[in-house]
Amino acid sequence: MLSFIVRRLLSGVLTIWFIATATFFAMHAVPGDPLTQDKAMSPAVRAQLEARYGLDKPLGEQYQLFLGNMLRGDFGISFTQENRRVNDIIREHFPVSAVLGLAALAIALVGGVAAGSVAAHFRNRWPDRVVMFAVIAAISVPGFVIAGLAQMVIVQLNQLAGTTLLPVAGWGSASHIWVPALVLGLGTMAYLSRLGRASMLEVLSSDYILAARSRGISGGRLFWRHQLRNAVLPVVTELGPSIAAVTTGGFVVELIFAIPGLGRYFVQAVQQLDYTVIMGTTVFYGAFLVLVVVLVDISYGLIDPRIRLTQGRG
Amino acid sequence: MNLLEVDQLRLDIAGVPALRDVSFSLRDGECRALVGESGSGKSLTAMCLLGLAPANAVLAARRLSLAGEALPPQGRRDWRLWRGRRIAMIFQNPMTALNPTQSIGAQLSESFCLHRQLRKRDARHAAIALLERLSIPRAEQRMRQYPFEFSGGMLQRVMIALAVACRPQLLIADEPTTALDVTVQAEVLALLAELQREQGTSLLFISHDLGVVARIADSVSVMYAGETVESASCEALFRAAAHPYTEALRAAVPRLHSTEIMRAIPGSPPDLRQPLHGCAFAPRCGQRMAICEEAPPLLAAAEGAIARCWRWHPEHPLQWRKAP
Amino acid sequence: MAIPVFRFAPWQPPEPVQASVQQPSAQWRPSLSLIAAGTVALAMLLLVALGPLLWQQDPSQQWLSQISRGPTPALAARVVDGERAARLPISPARRLEVLESNTERVQLRWPAPSGVTRYRLYRADARQPGRGLPLWQGRELSYEDRLQLRRKLYRYTLVDADSGLLLFATETRPEPAISVFEAQLQGLLAVADGPHPNYVMLPAHPLGTDALGRDLLARLMAGGRSSLFVGIVAPLLFIGFGSLFGGLAGYIGGGFDQFAMRLADFVVALPFLLFMILLRIVFGIGPGENGIMPLIVAMLLLSWPSSARLIRGQVLALRSQPFIDSARLSGVGTPRILWRHILPNVLPILLVAFSFAIPQAIFTEAFLSFIGMGVSPPSTSWGAMCNDGIKTLLSQPRQLLWPAAMISIAVLAFNILGDGLRDLTDRRGGGQGH
Repeated sequence: MLSFIVRRLLSGVLTIWFIATATFFAMHAVPGDPLTQDKAMSPAVRAQLEARYGLDKPLGEQYQLFLGNMLRGDFGISFTQENRRVNDIIREHFPVSAVLGLAALAIALVGGVAAGSVAAHFRNRWPDRVVMFAVIAAISVPGFVIAGLAQMVIVQLNQLAGTTLLPVAGWGSASHIWVPALVLGLGTMAYLSRLGRASMLEVLSSDYILAARSRGISGGRLFWRHQLRNAVLPVVTELGPSIAAVTTGGFVVELIFAIPGLGRYFVQAVQQLDYTVIMGTTVFYGAFLVLVVVLVDISYGLIDPRIRLTQGRG
Repeated sequence: MNLLEVDQLRLDIAGVPALRDVSFSLRDGECRALVGESGSGKSLTAMCLLGLAPANAVLAARRLSLAGEALPPQGRRDWRLWRGRRIAMIFQNPMTALNPTQSIGAQLSESFCLHRQLRKRDARHAAIALLERLSIPRAEQRMRQYPFEFSGGMLQRVMIALAVACRPQLLIADEPTTALDVTVQAEVLALLAELQREQGTSLLFISHDLGVVARIADSVSVMYAGETVESASCEALFRAAAHPYTEALRAAVPRLHSTEIMRAIPGSPPDLRQPLHGCAFAPRCGQRMAICEEAPPLLAAAEGAIARCWRWHPEHPLQWRKAP
Repeated sequence: MAIPVFRFAPWQPPEPVQASVQQPSAQWRPSLSLIAAGTVALAMLLLVALGPLLWQQDPSQQWLSQISRGPTPALAARVVDGERAARLPISPARRLEVLESNTERVQLRWPAPSGVTRYRLYRADARQPGRGLPLWQGRELSYEDRLQLRRKLYRYTLVDADSGLLLFATETRPEPAISVFEAQLQGLLAVADGPHPNYVMLPAHPLGTDALGRDLLARLMAGGRSSLFVGIVAPLLFIGFGSLFGGLAGYIGGGFDQFAMRLADFVVALPFLLFMILLRIVFGIGPGENGIMPLIVAMLLLSWPSSARLIRGQVLALRSQPFIDSARLSGVGTPRILWRHILPNVLPILLVAFSFAIPQAIFTEAFLSFIGMGVSPPSTSWGAMCNDGIKTLLSQPRQLLWPAAMISIAVLAFNILGDGLRDLTDRRGGGQGH
């Protein structure tokens, strides 16, 4: 098991290095010197940046410097917001994105597995049809449209009720989380329900469920101990891609719901061509996603004894 | 007194008669084999006895009882009190019939907790004792292991342990040795026979392998196209089969020390989705008669056997002499 | 009941009857949903390709007089010279009179009741109670309303500004109008000064107009061109490149194969959308500049590995098949083997991958355009239209809903198409195609 974890971590580190390198050279392939863009920039910032990044030095040396700074966790200073360090931006705004993302992921996972299980247990009957129709609708409508529609619905509801039942946008209280998280998790939930339905159907038709029933196991015990655990396994492997989807989906949801998360910041930086912020957040997001995939792999090994033991020995 | 009575069991799945007329009985402590080609309805009969017929199936029987008590209708909740406790089943493929994500110990203890209301610790001890009884070495360590870490033979022992955990009155074994190596087959068979003697359990042994059946069974029922065509004691059946199908089945078994030529049965079993007229085996039968276009009833044959063949009708010329 | 003895006689087979054996038709019949999805997808392509020929409005023409309108038919509009003030009649007014009422301006005048020095004028939607919006306050006896007039019934209320006492009220429905300036701008009137006709015809807007007064239908068709162009060309390119690369890797094997698969592993590990954005910046295209080509190139660079892996696996499986060996033994060259033996076998799988890549690409384009990193003005796409539409969502939902519906329908149609094609190839290939 340990060697498995070490191997996965090593390949993860290698990928992060690759992402950082690709980002570095991509940004340096941008036509023109990033500092000579016609952006308003005070001489102080320019001097600081040139000193920090040694933009007059050869590319190889700059690359070393970049990697060194990156290793120390220093992503530099924002171009458009004077004297604001990228680290501070990440530290301030990533927790917001993380809370939103985790809520969305939890909704997607629980909702997806539940909907998939219901659909599988009622195969080809009306609950199954309802779930599958909802799934198709959810994967065909872009996230930003769902977000917009959700806002419209909230406005209508608030008007109907006469008071503010749910805030339309913003951040700060628990009531701000639910609608954006639901919107953000919807696409992933649809995908996971589809997956959950397929794997639950496979479990339901398996010999070991028949055998368990033949031993008098039924009801909740059968569902929780024998069906759910086996049906959830394939869903868990999709957690890595799901987190990636929720992360990038978060950009738009944060934008529309005016949530001060890192995703919104990233989109703003892209729109303003704030190079250091783009570079820093890209590497940060990349490292984060790679780490998540590695962690999911490892946790999958913990859940499934077949992988836990065979990988550990191999 | 018969432990198990199955009389005119009929099962329609989505309008297709999968079982048409299954009738046999099982005495206390008896081992009856249920043989037939694949698709003849052997496993489905077992499922009916566990209340696990498919959800869209319609079951009808003149009598379906265990120890004089009628079995509950399919899909009822009362089945919990029967399955595992009074009737238990051993599955064909032990590799797929055990939950891959739970340890052997957890699955064994679960049965004890559920049916004997033991506490966790006691259930664990009972499980270890049972595994040891079934000569699984290092039972205590084995309890912590998962199905994929076991060999096929070991897994089948675990399956047997799961089935006999609560000393059921009726044990159904659905081709328990088919998925195993030949060398392991013999061990598992011996174990089954030993347990059956020891616990006094009645065993319904489902198989398509007449060689295995000859070794373990006291009596045999032969199934063809969803009905029992012959029931006889093991010796009677192997001495002289009463039904042409049984004869053909015996002729199709390869024998090592025999000059007899192995003969495959011509044709193939009928498609049950099409309506059947007369004897289901008639199109493949070498002794077909004009009357075979009518469905034969179960008739008393020689040596206490019962066969679904017009040859045993009292008015058949061959029977005239015996008639009183 | 006795059975006659002859019934126990051996059975005599009847005379063989020449029975026509009905062969079960092995022909594949497409499912209803597959036909429907294919029809919808085709209709969408036709709409986008041929629609602009039938509906010849300029998608970027802005009708200042028709901002954020619902569906409007073609109508005659009075030409109003906005700069010239309306002439007031000499005879005194007897009540609140509407001298002129069109969407460019509403001209009101009223008599002077004794004791009132200052007036206040309100305008309200006639269907709603209350006085509505306060428009003006002053001492004159006339007023010209030019404030966002629409073709609906308005109620004007005149009150004494000091006491708040109600003086007069009247209702009017402005007729459609266009200013001389805009009519000239849109080419409906000659630019030369001089007498002009009183009415010009305004084109219809079957789906209404957007927040800049542009025809939604024309924009949907123009936007669909970008969306579907990206949605079809990008998958075509990256699946083509990926399968060529993967096919060669699988066929050649050895070091090249190793290298190709390592490369694929790394590219797959890159966070897709982040690098899409990064690559677009690299191509030197800032936000606000149009970039369909960079979008497609970025997709090509990042999306090829999945089809490369798929085809490599297929080619590896095929390469060990006896018919390839026999072809090689009989002296068939490598290109010919690839073309005649490998390609026909992987083509169905490629087709399925292609139809699943289309909705993916449409989504990616929509996402990037929505955050302003995709297609930008003057050209547009459905995603960019959604970005425009979401700003006016609460007052004008149709501006978001139309492009959103188009994206959803296109994605749904191509997804169902992919499902259907996959079922088809699974059935043909006996399940070997995955």
